[in-house]
Amino acid sequence: MKYWMGGIFAVVCAFFLADFLFCQKATPVRVGADAGGPNSIAFLHELHGENIGLDCSHCHTGAASGARAYMPAKADCMDCHRLPLTENPGIEKLDSALAAAPAYPWKHESALPEHVVFHHGVHAAAGVECADCHRGFAGAQPGAKADVYGGENFSMQMCLACHRGETFKQKNFRRAATYCAACHR
Amino acid sequence: MDRREFLKILSATVAGFALFGCRDGLLGDMPVKGARLKLADFENEVKFALSKMKPGMELVRVPMPAALKTPGASQENRFGMAIDLDACDACGKCVLACIQENNIPLSAPERANRGQFMHWIEMCGGAPAMCFHCGDAPCEKVCPTGAANHTPDGVSAMMYKRCTGSRFCGANCPVHARKFNFDDPVASGRSLKFNAGVPVREKGVMEKCSLCLQRLQDARHDFKALHPGESFRGRGVTTACAAACPKNAIIFGNWLDEGSPLVRAAKDRVLYAPKAVASLDPSIVYMRGHR
Repeated sequence: MKYWMGGIFAVVCAFFLADFLFCQKATPVRVGADAGGPNSIAFLHELHGENIGLDCSHCHTGAASGARAYMPAKADCMDCHRLPLTENPGIEKLDSALAAAPAYPWKHESALPEHVVFHHGVHAAAGVECADCHRGFAGAQPGAKADVYGGENFSMQMCLACHRGETFKQKNFRRAATYCAACHR
Repeated sequence: MDRREFLKILSATVAGFALFGCRDGLLGDMPVKGARLKLADFENEVKFALSKMKPGMELVRVPMPAALKTPGASQENRFGMAIDLDACDACGKCVLACIQENNIPLSAPERANRGQFMHWIEMCGGAPAMCFHCGDAPCEKVCPTGAANHTPDGVSAMMYKRCTGSRFCGANCPVHARKFNFDDPVASGRSLKFNAGVPVREKGVMEKCSLCLQRLQDARHDFKALHPGESFRGRGVTTACAAACPKNAIIFGNWLDEGSPLVRAAKDRVLYAPKAVASLDPSIVYMRGHR
């Protein structure tokens, strides 16, 4: 009797093991940004944002009204960095690093699965500010990537909680759609 | 071996095979490495489907669709289409446009020979027929997981990730508008991703006309981002089939918007729906003749 129980248990365990080893893993929902090349000077959000008052959507075009917020191209940096900006001796090093930078120094792929729609501009238009979902950059490390609401633990429940008005109560956001096809396709 | 031991071995073997049958991947669907599909393959399948055209459906007169009665339904929007039977010449361009918009896979040859295609639009007696997006949809009532559900603005939507493949909806659809993925379209090498904005359905998932839900979603989001506070009426949106029709026989619009091309086209026409769905408040109707 015990021998057979053990046998069945082993078979079941073997299938679970096979499932663990060979089966496709659930796609994690993560959003992150890639850092620049190994010799690049890390971008400091604090220096550009809080210091000189640049709006997020100035570099991340589309953040305010588009479906997604884009990463800036080198040409966007050069709009300002064409000119000698400071007396700082480090600026020459920065200029040479910028000259050597690729045309598109940053890449960002949304980790949302393709059956989910997230329109950046709709949330911005509804009064959600950048820092509500993306961590502020005050005191952040150079080259730090923007944090996304929920981070690794992000789930649909977090979307729904805000859409139902359960989170961000102090911001008084309007209730948003919670029917499936509002965000899923 | 006594009777008890025999039963034990038998049940263990059955349980083992049952578990093995649940596997997907290891010794399951092996990816087919064949020639890469071309658009011409899909064009040929549409031609083949046209040669195996289904008989026409019996049509009865219906009134113009009005706002849905279900709780929570929008009183401003009800999206739908009207198909002009006087203009349609069954060229099949809508079927191909639908395939390209929604990444519809080819049908397996043995299924195609039986006249079973994955096409969301099928020609029935010389007129395109698709899901009629019934306001009182019988398919949604039998879905055990809620994957088939209605949006407030009248689209019968499918949440593919929720679908467990019970196929109750397909059995309960009076016009057989639902198509089931009996095998994996990607692994079997019969799908081509024309449109990056639409996910390819997986094995064991039911699919059907979504009224180009993705176009409505994109337009709605862009509208709301640019005009916060205003209500979206679906202006400027059209479905892939309607855009592709050379005779302008398929017209997409909002039944509750007086300025919608749909209402303007259907206002003085006689509207028909297949008898099987006429009592279920369809959002997609046929029109023929003038009143």
